Amino acid sequence: MMTIGTLALLSIGLPWIGAVVVRLIGDRRPAAQHASAVVFALAGAVAAVAMIPQKTDANVLDLPLGSAFGHLTFLPDGLAVFLAVVATVIGSLAVIFSVDYMKGERQLGRYYSYVLFFIGSMVGLVLSSNLLLIFVFWEITALCSYALISFYNDDPKAVAAGIKALIVTQVGGIGLLAGALLLYVYQGSYDVPTFLATASTLPADVLAVMAFGFLVAAAAKSAQFPFQTWLPDAMEAPTPVSALIHAATMVNAGVYLLARFYPAFEAVPHWKLAVVVVGAVTALMAAVMALVSNDLKRVLAYSTVSQLGYMVYAVGTGGIFASQFHLLSHAVFKALLFLSAGAVIHAVHTRDMREMGGLGKQMPVVKVVMIIGGLALAGIPLFFNGFWSKELVLEAGREGGPAWAWAFMVVGAGLTALYTLRFLSMVFYGEPKGHGHVHDAGPAMKIALVPLALGTLTTYLLAGPFGGFLGRALGEGHEVGTTGQVLLGILTAPTTFVALAVVALGLLAWWRRESLSGLARALRGIGTMASNSFGFEAINRGIVSATVASAESLRTTHNGVLNWNVFAILVGLVAVLAILALGGA
Amino acid sequence: MSLSLPLLAAVGVLGLLGTGLLGLLVTRNLIKAVVGLQILVKGAMLALVLAGRLAGQIQIGQSMALTVIVADTIVSVVALALAVQVRRQFGTLDLQALSTLRR
Amino acid sequence: MNPTLALTWLLLLPLLASPVIYLAGRASFRLGKSAAPARWLAAVALAATLVPLYYTGEAVLRAGSVSLQVGAISLRMDGVGLILAGTVLALTFLVSIFSMPYMRREEGEEKHYALLVSMAGTMVGLGCANDLFNLWVWFEAMAVTSFLLVAFYREQRGALEAGVKYLVQSAVGSAFVLIGIALVFARTGTLELSQVAAAVAGPLPLPLPLAAAGALFLIGFGVKAALVPLHTWLPDAHSQAPSGISAMLSGVVIEAGLVAMLRALGCLAPMSASWGAMLLAFGALNMVVGNLMALRQTQVKRMFAYSSVSHLGYMLIGFGVAVGYGIANGAAGGFFHLLNHALMKGLAFMAAGALLYALHISRGSHDPLMIDDLNGAAGKYPLTALALTIAVLALGGLPPLSGFMSKWQIFVAGFETRSAAVEILVIFAAINSVLSLAYYAPLVNRMYRHEPSAAVAAGRSVSVLMGAPLAVMTILVIVLGFWPGLVDAITHPAAVHLVSIFGGVGALARF
Repeated sequence: MMTIGTLALLSIGLPWIGAVVVRLIGDRRPAAQHASAVVFALAGAVAAVAMIPQKTDANVLDLPLGSAFGHLTFLPDGLAVFLAVVATVIGSLAVIFSVDYMKGERQLGRYYSYVLFFIGSMVGLVLSSNLLLIFVFWEITALCSYALISFYNDDPKAVAAGIKALIVTQVGGIGLLAGALLLYVYQGSYDVPTFLATASTLPADVLAVMAFGFLVAAAAKSAQFPFQTWLPDAMEAPTPVSALIHAATMVNAGVYLLARFYPAFEAVPHWKLAVVVVGAVTALMAAVMALVSNDLKRVLAYSTVSQLGYMVYAVGTGGIFASQFHLLSHAVFKALLFLSAGAVIHAVHTRDMREMGGLGKQMPVVKVVMIIGGLALAGIPLFFNGFWSKELVLEAGREGGPAWAWAFMVVGAGLTALYTLRFLSMVFYGEPKGHGHVHDAGPAMKIALVPLALGTLTTYLLAGPFGGFLGRALGEGHEVGTTGQVLLGILTAPTTFVALAVVALGLLAWWRRESLSGLARALRGIGTMASNSFGFEAINRGIVSATVASAESLRTTHNGVLNWNVFAILVGLVAVLAILALGGA
Repeated sequence: MSLSLPLLAAVGVLGLLGTGLLGLLVTRNLIKAVVGLQILVKGAMLALVLAGRLAGQIQIGQSMALTVIVADTIVSVVALALAVQVRRQFGTLDLQALSTLRR
Repeated sequence: MNPTLALTWLLLLPLLASPVIYLAGRASFRLGKSAAPARWLAAVALAATLVPLYYTGEAVLRAGSVSLQVGAISLRMDGVGLILAGTVLALTFLVSIFSMPYMRREEGEEKHYALLVSMAGTMVGLGCANDLFNLWVWFEAMAVTSFLLVAFYREQRGALEAGVKYLVQSAVGSAFVLIGIALVFARTGTLELSQVAAAVAGPLPLPLPLAAAGALFLIGFGVKAALVPLHTWLPDAHSQAPSGISAMLSGVVIEAGLVAMLRALGCLAPMSASWGAMLLAFGALNMVVGNLMALRQTQVKRMFAYSSVSHLGYMLIGFGVAVGYGIANGAAGGFFHLLNHALMKGLAFMAAGALLYALHISRGSHDPLMIDDLNGAAGKYPLTALALTIAVLALGGLPPLSGFMSKWQIFVAGFETRSAAVEILVIFAAINSVLSLAYYAPLVNRMYRHEPSAAVAAGRSVSVLMGAPLAVMTILVIVLGFWPGLVDAITHPAAVHLVSIFGGVGALARF
């Protein structure tokens, strides 16, 4: 029996070794690349799953890294192991899906090596209990995300999207960086368990800077307001990558960070409110944007942003269990939706939903599983995991959050139902739009889709054990009962009925969309604003063009004439002398 | 007289430094820039000798100045060799023309 | 080996080897053969120097320093000098291997090797200088060899122009240093570093001549260390020199200027608060100006040159924190970054140089390597492209590469001051790292395009001898990223020593 420390290293290391192996195999042997990628991804998943019975609340492994870098330690507690399993299992399914999806693509070695590198790093991110290492893995996942978004380097849009994702998440990451540095300076180590146990002994202002720094980092990583713009653009990535990184795993890292450190920051003034505001604003705003987009993957991206908003909101209201439960549901059903969308896109060679329609006949399996995923997203009772977890989030919000935010979230649930129906019907129903021959999904694709569909239909049955598994990470006094108790609690909560009514309204709105055209016209202003991403793109563009303009004007000062260069030296000397003279006086 | 010698030398140092720097700032000719540089370094040499005198260790000041003369000669030779090449390749010694690398 | 003897050989070997290399290459060339002996002799001489380096280093780490008295001149190798010497010799050795194919059959090839080895020797000496004037002599000797190397392609306009500007600006700086030395000598009557420090010890403010001397050291050595706005020669020189020399200039020469500056300022330690603040201010300036200038470049080597300006800024922040606040992590991070930068930027310049050689030079063209030329390079040159990718990602501070770790140590030091101003400066530095990705990342994307540029399509192959140093450096960049503690044994004692030179109390913290 391997110790959990070994397993932790294996679940990081096996995918990483796989990354190197795939690269070494070389692009001339694609079959071997596909096969070894699948093998190493699955091996990582096995190692991660094997950690489940051995989860512990104590640090395992302890390797000193040197003076300012602390010790390499891992904490495979329930929360960490859960997310490691999600990362490796969905990672494996995405890799299996890729066998069909990426067939015939060039530079497969680069593709698989980054995917595998990502899987290992994501596991490292959740297992680390050294804040520096968390930051390191945090940045590695951003690096992989960037490399995979811009996988199609010949497409300028893909390159721009990749760099945008990298820079936005890095800017946010500075919040985490500052937090880690403060922790080291004030605590003398990067150890997370120590911090969680003794956070209240740190100076209040330091703790506040850390709390809000982490919130900034989490918002950037999880594409929350005001950093949400990178995720829709990230849809230039190959679809399995979108499913894995930009729906099921990496974007959850922000939620994970907030949930992990919630016990330490809970008491920081205004922090919880700030988290709620970020989550609620994002959830509603992104839902509106999902409603007006015609690009299938962008709709799903906005939907991801919106659902992540629900999770962030849940953390802010103290519903750690609700947030993680929704994270689980969302990881499964959104990966399913993305992968089925990938199958569709692979079949029709476009992402524009206006050019789809009537695809149900040609792709029966994809249609069924995608509808299952859609119903979970929409929150339709009773057999879909999305319904249960979303109601749990809303109920947690009603109990622990401000009323206005709760109202936001409930309206968001209605909008979710509306846009889900919209994209499902645009893709699968209506008249075929003459896309010629449509080929059905390949066998590897189906192998990946079916387990996710089954998961969507069943994961809510694990509510009780899942709560027990997370255990201490949920905080004191947050014990979760059995599955029956949890589900019964949801069914009898007042929120559920309100939410169901709103969801029904959303469905009705789609049904009667013809007669609501007057209302739609009235709301067109909002739609236009939503298509323009509520001005956030303009802000991004402004920052970029201001930077470029200042770079260009700085360049004009470098005129290359020797006299001026000598003059600059003299200016430097005079300035230093003057400052010394003034400082000495 | 002997009292004012250091003062005189100090004025000389400042004069040489100022002249050298001014030359470097205003000339458009590479050879003249090298001359400006020479004047600047001469000022530094005089400063070293003066420092030796003020510190009461004139020999050290002088030997430093001698070392600087050697080093300075090498630098000047290199500079002039480059100037010859510049004249050959650019067809001019104009510093304004010698600004193809910029930005 | 006896430490004193080891130090003697460490200093002598490169300087003795240099003329031998020249003469052997020249003689072989005259006999109608190639200058090949110069190539091999250079590599052998540099490899041989690693032996006394090892014994000297061992003694320095054990005893703190090794001294050597040559007539009236005393030389002393301490931890700071050891880091410089080790970095210089390792990089020079790799460059000498890299240059074998790169400089093959260039006119004056033997001169290149002779100068390269002697430049390495002067930098080792610079690290050992124990009095101000001796420091200047080594510094000037290093400068002269580097002028000749920058203008190595003496038929080319760009190289000539860069050489001229570099020479004149450096000479102005070195004249300033001389005046500073004169001021210190006039005031204290001594030049030996520790004696000067003892003589100036006293209440603030120091006499005006001494403060002025400090400013002259800062600016004089600062020209070589490329402090903004004294950096204007750097992008020209570093982009026009042969690529191996670019790696040397960016990797160690500007850093040698920085070490010289720290040495000189160290004897004016009572003003360490001022020097610390100055270093921090120049650090901020260097980072932002270097990055903004690099952002819109179209030539690869010129972009890297500006990136060196910004990386020097990180070192300045580390050393500024060490000098101003007495925080050893700052100096350790600064030294770590110095070493790393030699690796990362050396790798970047050499990988770009390998491509420049394959795409242009080997085809008889002296066109610069444009950023557009890199399009699709990974298809034809997968390993070189990978090396360049890793180099720029490390420079951009992405983990798990070494550049991240040294920046991190500097950032930790900044926060250890617990001063809001320095903490904001660290955040500013982090933002600058992100900004630098805006020019590094597109470079990587280009290389992995499917469609090769015309230059790549027509390019020749990269030889094994060029590839080998790239492979070594790539591996080191990754290893140090995973295990930053490897260099602690060297950087930490040097850092503690440096902090103690500057008074070790953290003068700025009192403000």
